[in-house]
Amino acid sequence: MKSMLKPFTIFILILSSLTLGGCMEWDYGETEDFDVTGSGLFITNEGNFQYGNATLSYYDPATNTVQNEVFFRANGMKLGDVAQSMSIYDNKGWIVVNNSHVIFAIDLNTFKEIGRIENLTSPRYIHFLSDEKAYVTQLWDNRIFIVNPKKYEITGYITVPDMTMESGSTEQMVQYGKYVYCNCWSYQNRIIKIDTETDQVVDQLTVGIQPTSLVLDRYDKMWTVTDGGYEGSPYGHEAPSLYRIDAATFTIEKQFKFKFGDWPSEVQLNGTGDTLYWINNDIWRMDVTAERLPVRPFLEYRDTKYYGLTVNPFNGEVYVADAIDYQQQGMIYRYSPQGELIDEFYVGITPGAFCWK
Amino acid sequence: MTVTYRIASMKKILILFLLLAGVMPGFAQRSYKLGEVVVRAKRPMKEIGVTKTTFDSAMLKENIALSMADILAFNSSIFVKSYGRATLSTVAFRGTSPSHTQVTWNGMRINNPMLGMTDFSTIPSYFIDQASLLHGTSSVNETGGGLGGLVKLATEPDTPEGFNVQYVQGIGSFSTFDEFARLTYGSDKWHVSTRAVHSSSPNDYKYINHDKKVNIYDDDHNIIGQYHPKERNRSGAFRDTHILQEVYYNTLKGDRLGLNAWYIDSNRELPMLTTDYGNEADFENRQREQTFRSVLSWDHTRSKWKAGLKGGYIHTWMAYDYRREVSEGNWASMTRSRSKVNTIYGQAEGEYTPSRKWFFTANLSAHQHFVRSQDKNIILQDGDKAIVGYDKGRIELSGSASAKWQPIDRLGMSVVVREEMFGTDWSPLIPAFFIDGVVLPEGNVTLKASISRNYRVPTLNDLYFLPGGNPDLRNEHGFTYDLGASFEVGKKEVYSLSGSVTWFDSRIDDWIIWLPTTKGFFSPRNVKEVHAYGVEVTGNLGVQPFKGWFLDLNGSYSWTPSINEGEKMSPADQSVGKQLPYVPKHSASLTGRLSWRSWGFLYKWCWYSERFTMSSNDYTLTGHLPQYFMSNISLEKGLSFKPVDLSLKLAVNNLFNEDYLSVLSRPMPGINFEFFIGITPKFNRKK
Repeated sequence: MKSMLKPFTIFILILSSLTLGGCMEWDYGETEDFDVTGSGLFITNEGNFQYGNATLSYYDPATNTVQNEVFFRANGMKLGDVAQSMSIYDNKGWIVVNNSHVIFAIDLNTFKEIGRIENLTSPRYIHFLSDEKAYVTQLWDNRIFIVNPKKYEITGYITVPDMTMESGSTEQMVQYGKYVYCNCWSYQNRIIKIDTETDQVVDQLTVGIQPTSLVLDRYDKMWTVTDGGYEGSPYGHEAPSLYRIDAATFTIEKQFKFKFGDWPSEVQLNGTGDTLYWINNDIWRMDVTAERLPVRPFLEYRDTKYYGLTVNPFNGEVYVADAIDYQQQGMIYRYSPQGELIDEFYVGITPGAFCWK
Repeated sequence: MTVTYRIASMKKILILFLLLAGVMPGFAQRSYKLGEVVVRAKRPMKEIGVTKTTFDSAMLKENIALSMADILAFNSSIFVKSYGRATLSTVAFRGTSPSHTQVTWNGMRINNPMLGMTDFSTIPSYFIDQASLLHGTSSVNETGGGLGGLVKLATEPDTPEGFNVQYVQGIGSFSTFDEFARLTYGSDKWHVSTRAVHSSSPNDYKYINHDKKVNIYDDDHNIIGQYHPKERNRSGAFRDTHILQEVYYNTLKGDRLGLNAWYIDSNRELPMLTTDYGNEADFENRQREQTFRSVLSWDHTRSKWKAGLKGGYIHTWMAYDYRREVSEGNWASMTRSRSKVNTIYGQAEGEYTPSRKWFFTANLSAHQHFVRSQDKNIILQDGDKAIVGYDKGRIELSGSASAKWQPIDRLGMSVVVREEMFGTDWSPLIPAFFIDGVVLPEGNVTLKASISRNYRVPTLNDLYFLPGGNPDLRNEHGFTYDLGASFEVGKKEVYSLSGSVTWFDSRIDDWIIWLPTTKGFFSPRNVKEVHAYGVEVTGNLGVQPFKGWFLDLNGSYSWTPSINEGEKMSPADQSVGKQLPYVPKHSASLTGRLSWRSWGFLYKWCWYSERFTMSSNDYTLTGHLPQYFMSNISLEKGLSFKPVDLSLKLAVNNLFNEDYLSVLSRPMPGINFEFFIGITPKFNRKK
């Protein structure tokens, strides 16, 4: 028996030695101390759905320097799955991480977490009404969540009429007096009006198929652009349009039609609220008082898919995000108000939204 | 005469193969012998120039908890992408994508026609009696579309005489229960077998969540501390049942009829990501599947020719539900998708051996798919309800003819011509050429080479999925060639040693990938040209170091660069010339079996080099999957009593308790155990 055990032991020893050194190396736990000052641009990089690889980048236009993965580096943990948007309120940055069901609040200079609102359904955007009240829009939910940003708690819901959870989609919000307007996007065709005193939807306005974004200009006109749906959609497929809506009367003042098959998106305003920008293959710009769509683009298409767009509110410079193949670091192009390229820098995967500090 | 010779030669190989197979399940007393390695100058003509990996029954019947995903991971160098037990497990064969690996079961293609790929976690290894891989070009012998290769699975009518029963129960970590039962009846003419597997587990293993931190607050809600929590795998439960019925009738006059029917009922939760801050109790994320697959076959064998007919049917119902509890007990659907696939299959094949030097085959198969995919319930603009989805059918015809020639025993050549039709589109001709030759009869040193063109047509989702389906997609197409060498030496009852090395090189154009659009959904496009090449090495050693001892070592290694050689998608694109994401450049596996009398010990080891998660191969803090090694062991003891044979087995997975990931944000379980007891009553056996 003894002699039998010997080869057995040798065999185990040989096999065991093969596995030595086989440990997965982990980079975690370490945190970096940031202290950025002055104005800057946050870029939320969505990452890939279900990969949990969303990241936050920070760009300083004064020094032309970018810092990537700043949330991870400052906090030693991941930002999550699909970072959708970011807003600033009360000197905090609020990052809405869609498929992580969370909103993180961070310090604007150190990027360190201050708090988090958890257990949201599929949050898209946050709009602040006061220190103790904010609305959070959702996808796959027919409710807009009411949260208390001070206590980081969900305090209630606004149920949107004629919407099921499955077809639920509320997106971007703008405020006019005591009313908050919100575009309903996925398999929807309307803008809803919410009374912030009663937290009720009090009115709605039908626009074209799938309005994707919503802004309010200096003349209290709201702008939304529809994507027109897609081919084969039971909801319909039409030529997309840009709409000018009067916020006071909540009526469409003007509809600017695009060609059938165009895919306009990302309506943005400059800092003074008098010039409108959007993506439609190229980058387009139009005075908010214009009565016709421009004939020539502001920036021409550069063999890629532009995914994000923002205008520096302080100097009118235009930033365009190129997601390339959505599986590598995206590129941000920075242009002067005259359309000259000033800088370009790599950020994270699928840069989708911006936030100016 | 020729056929007899071939059969005799096959028999020798089979005996050798069975002897090397080692631990056979369900038998308490075993004896192992190393046979003599015969000089096989005359090789099976069917396999001229073919690169093939065969999984023996010891690998397949290791324990009842394993799926084919586990078998492939530990016994071949195929990369299996999975995030734990009972989760979607797909493969990258020779650096290609999951839909480039074709899978057949008893001759019928079982790739999901909507997705193109196969989930190997839904194939219990105890249900498979014969499994092999046909690498690259070699797959053209059996099917088209296998740009990576073919996984060929089959059951066989090998049941012992009379009535027999086998029952195995497994109890493991995380309250995992596995059960297997098999009833067989065998006679000269009839072979009947019924198998059932049932597995269930909450699968709530613990892990340290490196991606998340829990905050410690003071009374004013200021964060005063943070730590990585020890969490449980949330929403990971599964309950899978499989039943397989087989009946074979052999006329003993050259005809055999067979029926195989396999039913799957699977109910699995989809685990939450490590970065999910939702409350597990408020969300449900579940996938259910019911699949029925059946094949009726008739084989007619004569001295010089063989003919076969097969007919089959597949029905798959799949449901995916993502729900949230909106108030106590009131669950609302966020996504409710349903799909139904019905496939009718027919195949006719023939083989003809006019002389010792020639061998001809012809094969025609048809798969008619009917797919109904319902993905989302919406409210229309006029207030009516509608479902977003598609309802499509497609016929897929594939025909091939081959001629194999062995002018002298040591040299063989084979030409295969295949033609396919999908819907109404005919693919261009798929030709393949194979050659092999024994250069050194002493060590059975054989050289082989093959070349083929191949195509893969888009899947039904690629073409029709709403939103995003792209009916204008072109076929993926490419050229592959293989060059290889193998040897086999041994000494009776002392050792046997064999090995092979294969170089392969393939280029795939119009590679289809799904990319997001600015409208918020994904859409497939033909974008990449991929150059996948590399080396595959295999080795097998069987030794009888001492009397009564038997050691079997099986190793494999692959080096698989899979490089994007397409055009830049934008001036800033950094992915050209880089390795494809989620394809490791190196992978290796090793299994060692040691047996002595009724004891059996098994060591399994696999290694995958780092996988990039970005097409640019960047090393980011949030997107890097380092290499990992995995070791599993099991110890088995067989006991024989008068009325019953017992087999006791303890399996230890992740022996060194590695903290690892196969897919981003999906932690894998640490060390875990499962104990199996196998009972084989001997009520009918005369001993």
